[in-house]
Amino acid sequence: MTPSPFVIETAGLTKRFGGRTVVQDVELQVPRGSAFGYLGPNGAGKTTLIRMLLGLTRATSGSMSLLGLPVPQRRGEALARVGAIVEEPRFHRYLTGRENLEIVAAARGPEAAHRIDGAIERVGLARRANDRVGTYSLGMRQRLGIARLLLADPELLILDEPMNGLDPAGIEEFRFLIRSLVAEGRTVMLSSHLLDEVEKTVDALAIVDQGRVVVQGSIADLTRNGPATLMIASADNSRARHVLGSHAAVSSIVSEEGILRVQLGRVDERVEHEAFADINRRLVEAGIPVYRLEPEHASLERRFLEITSRLEEAA
Amino acid sequence: MTALTAIASPPLRRPFLPLVRAEVLKLRKNRGLVLTAAAMTVGAMIVAYTILLLLHAFNPDHHGPAGGVANLGNGVMLLAGLGSVAAILIGAAAGAADLTSGVFRELVVTGRSRLALFTARIPGGLAVIVSLIAAAVVIVVTVTVGFAGSLAAPSAGLLAGTVVWLLVEIAFYFAVALGLGSLLGSRAQTIAILLAWRMAVTPILLSIGALGVARDVVPGAAFNQLAPDAIVPDHRGSRRSTFPRWSGTGSGGTPSSSMPCSHWPSARSTSRTRSITTATSSGSPSR
Repeated sequence: MTPSPFVIETAGLTKRFGGRTVVQDVELQVPRGSAFGYLGPNGAGKTTLIRMLLGLTRATSGSMSLLGLPVPQRRGEALARVGAIVEEPRFHRYLTGRENLEIVAAARGPEAAHRIDGAIERVGLARRANDRVGTYSLGMRQRLGIARLLLADPELLILDEPMNGLDPAGIEEFRFLIRSLVAEGRTVMLSSHLLDEVEKTVDALAIVDQGRVVVQGSIADLTRNGPATLMIASADNSRARHVLGSHAAVSSIVSEEGILRVQLGRVDERVEHEAFADINRRLVEAGIPVYRLEPEHASLERRFLEITSRLEEAA
Repeated sequence: MTALTAIASPPLRRPFLPLVRAEVLKLRKNRGLVLTAAAMTVGAMIVAYTILLLLHAFNPDHHGPAGGVANLGNGVMLLAGLGSVAAILIGAAAGAADLTSGVFRELVVTGRSRLALFTARIPGGLAVIVSLIAAAVVIVVTVTVGFAGSLAAPSAGLLAGTVVWLLVEIAFYFAVALGLGSLLGSRAQTIAILLAWRMAVTPILLSIGALGVARDVVPGAAFNQLAPDAIVPDHRGSRRSTFPRWSGTGSGGTPSSSMPCSHWPSARSTSRTRSITTATSSGSPSR
């Protein structure tokens, strides 16, 4: 049987707490073998969605599946190959790192117990494995949390805000770990509000706001979808602004710290390139020396803010 | 660990015994808990019988042997009282530890059923408390049989019945603490509630005459009703009624389950008894 191309699928997933809807009609598809970001501001319903997927809380309505298995109906089977950290990984602080793993291995099954040494080695905790967890730093606890996930030899890892509290070195290390897990054929879904980190780590993502998935797709698609912007620096920015103000492709010009940010209307890639060339030609013909002319790559942050601010305006 | 193992349909071979072992590990490694429980069971027996042995060794005219049936009863009553408190401590820890540390959530996301995770706590916790009680019982039996001297040593039947009764009482308090701990998710609250019940509420209930025979179902009294006759102090009377014993009108006067030392008579060489701890029953040691 061909496995589903999606390791997580939800349809119309909704969760209400009393009269408050926290997750609303979520349709999510997480592609197999990718790093997938679930991105949204605090309070957007990210953790609640993860809790529903893992059977920690019931959905009010809708359906969901993990690794092609419907949950909660076949939750035990599905979670046998899923590793998850919800919020901060928790441990018995008076036990050693190894003993904490032994406890989870006991719940997972006999194969998991054989993976303890490998998992400890993988996350770089071999020298501290026999120390009490109470003496670990947050970064070490995060790594021990990952080791705990690896006991399942998981096809899917679900990480809720895994980079919270990590220092820059820890974040970079974590990013590398996630990429190496994906390179092994695993799927990693991580929720976060740290846009920059998500952009650097994941292949595809969904942006969620106020409980709804607003947009989902690959990073490249999402950052390309916005209107093109050209950054221009010249010897005479005010004249350049005047020259370009009448250009048919230009929708707005903003001057910021000696740079003109020229935004084009929504056009396809070919028209966009022609417009860039035409803008350059007009400036040269007007006798304005141009120091810099550079298409601005829309960052995920800009796209995220555009999307969420549109939603706020609509509300 | 490198590449993902290709398993189309993962086998769900998840034996129960490792879960029990994990529960034992969690309790065993809680050094404060184990030391406290050991002090209340093994430690208490060592101290009590050492005192009796020393008293008899230095002054045999006034202090009888440390062994014999009477001292078996006294030792077991002390062990039942303190052991049930130890059982409450261990039950509360077993029930609430995963919840308070947040580890229960981590165990649930392994896909293991909550029922299995909960059920494993019962044999796991019992293994710890019963092993401590067993060690304490070995001391009790060794002294009461081996140092009976001129007194009658307890029979095998009496010892067996006593041990079974003791284990039932200990298991009961463990189970109540485990259930309450799991329900409340707080070890401290569980211990406070059950100790308050054991030390304060039970004696009050048993002293309310208007409750009549209903008092016999209060756990502290019910277990005394089930105890082998030979190990219960003489003042209980011919009928197994709790009233004279618990109301303070009997010679004991104080509930043995809440004040386990109050009935300890050490046999004299002539089989007369002497209370070594009677502060609550008569105010001073009787001679």
